[in-house]
Amino acid sequence: MRKHKNKIIAAVIIIAALTAAFIFGGRYSSPSRNAQPSAAPGAEPEPVSAATPPTEPSMVIDPETGKDKYLTDPVPEGKPLPIEPQDVTLGDAEYTCFLSVKCDTILDNMNLLDKEKHELVPDDGVILPLTEVTFYEGESVFNVLQREMKLNRIHLEFMNVPIYNSVYIEGINNLYEFDVGELSGWMYKVNGWFPNYGASRYQLQPGDVVEWLYTCDLGRDVGGWDSVNGYVVGADWLEEIGYEEDEE
Amino acid sequence: MSNRDTFSSYHPAVNMLYFTAVLLLAMLLMQPVCQVISVVSAFAYSVYLNGGKAIRFSLAYMLPMLIMAALINPAFNHQGGTILTYLPSGNPLTLESILYGISAALMIVTVITWFSCYNAVMTSDKFVYLFGRVIPALSLILSMALRFVPRFNTQIKFVAHAQRCIGRDTSSGNIFQRVRKGIRIISIMVTWALENAIETADSMKARGYGLPRRTAFSIYRFERRDLYAAVYIVVCAAAIIAGAVTGALYYRYFPTFRMARDGGTIVASFIYAALSAMPMAINFREGRKWKLIAQRS
Repeated sequence: MRKHKNKIIAAVIIIAALTAAFIFGGRYSSPSRNAQPSAAPGAEPEPVSAATPPTEPSMVIDPETGKDKYLTDPVPEGKPLPIEPQDVTLGDAEYTCFLSVKCDTILDNMNLLDKEKHELVPDDGVILPLTEVTFYEGESVFNVLQREMKLNRIHLEFMNVPIYNSVYIEGINNLYEFDVGELSGWMYKVNGWFPNYGASRYQLQPGDVVEWLYTCDLGRDVGGWDSVNGYVVGADWLEEIGYEEDEE
Repeated sequence: MSNRDTFSSYHPAVNMLYFTAVLLLAMLLMQPVCQVISVVSAFAYSVYLNGGKAIRFSLAYMLPMLIMAALINPAFNHQGGTILTYLPSGNPLTLESILYGISAALMIVTVITWFSCYNAVMTSDKFVYLFGRVIPALSLILSMALRFVPRFNTQIKFVAHAQRCIGRDTSSGNIFQRVRKGIRIISIMVTWALENAIETADSMKARGYGLPRRTAFSIYRFERRDLYAAVYIVVCAAAIIAGAVTGALYYRYFPTFRMARDGGTIVASFIYAALSAMPMAINFREGRKWKLIAQRS
């Protein structure tokens, strides 16, 4: 045993170093964020609305990437900011909002859909007609979707995506992402706006109208292109790929 | 112990044709009736060929694998129209994902069992006889590689015993000493394997293996019964493929389980059973012939 003492010590030191790197490595960005309070001065002191639980809706943008901690671009002015589900304490107060699930875009692209799945698409493309549903204080769009799908015995598969701090809806009613071409999948719209962050981070307000829509063209066919590809025309990435705005 | 296998005495081309057909159908056709037919026939033939070893292998490895695959699939696959309950993650547990898991597991088990039969029937001399001309280098490498595993096992026992004689076996000492001794044995084995491979290749070369006009003695003759068997296999396989194409063997697992259930399905299933049970039927007929001859004399 004594012969191998040095080797054991070396192994222990390496493991300790790796453990330390693993534990502290994730926080490398926090000091820089504290050091530059100018990064998000406008968002910090925003007043809390009465209906939401005591969480401050704020969005800390990293000046290096131009995105927040969960890789979300700045939310357009006047639109609700993402609220992290882990910060929310759910209340007992009941409210109502409206929910609908539609896949009518598939009707124009039936040839792309697997024949075995044709029977899943309703003739009018409406999986769940616009209905008034109950939600509890602090719940997100995803919470309501999950509960209503269970109540209506409609299939729903989702996946947790930690880097976006949200779930990703893979399939509703057995209609999955990529089932109708490689640009297809589920998107959601609240009060006519496609949020540019995940459904777990959108906190519902009473009377919100939530629509889940199946897109066959990365949001273009349902009007949600911007939420996928950024709101600011002329942003850096557009110039990088050589995009020029039409001047008419 | 193993039984006398008449199918092994058929021409290697017939053996090869049969296993190609049966394996491809087992891999491609996930129709539940066909799968059950195939797994039962493969298991019966494997037990006939390998005796109790096959049963032990099936119980020790195949059964746990079947159960594992059948359990793992519904844990990750949530497709399907029949929602049984919801998993703790919030995703649904569907009947279709369970059925598909069982079916996929059954397919793996079937293919492995057919391969165990293949190994017993297609000896390496048959394989080299069939492919020695067409792909000499590859068939030599294949037969050497397949032979290598049991040879390596035998040799590693010799080496371990020899090391044990001089007190350097892996059963004594602390963990570092044991690892060091184990590595020593592995090192000896690697040297042996490389040397052995070169020696084999050299001796094959010295005997003129793969030369254009070299002839080889073989005990195989393509007889009338081989022709009948080959035609039988081709006709059965063609009929099954026709059944799959025309929809008699139609099946689907997602979004809801569905399969064709008409006269065509029954006919196709019977043909599938006729093909899968062919070696056992040949053996059975041969056994009866022997009995008749024994009675007469």
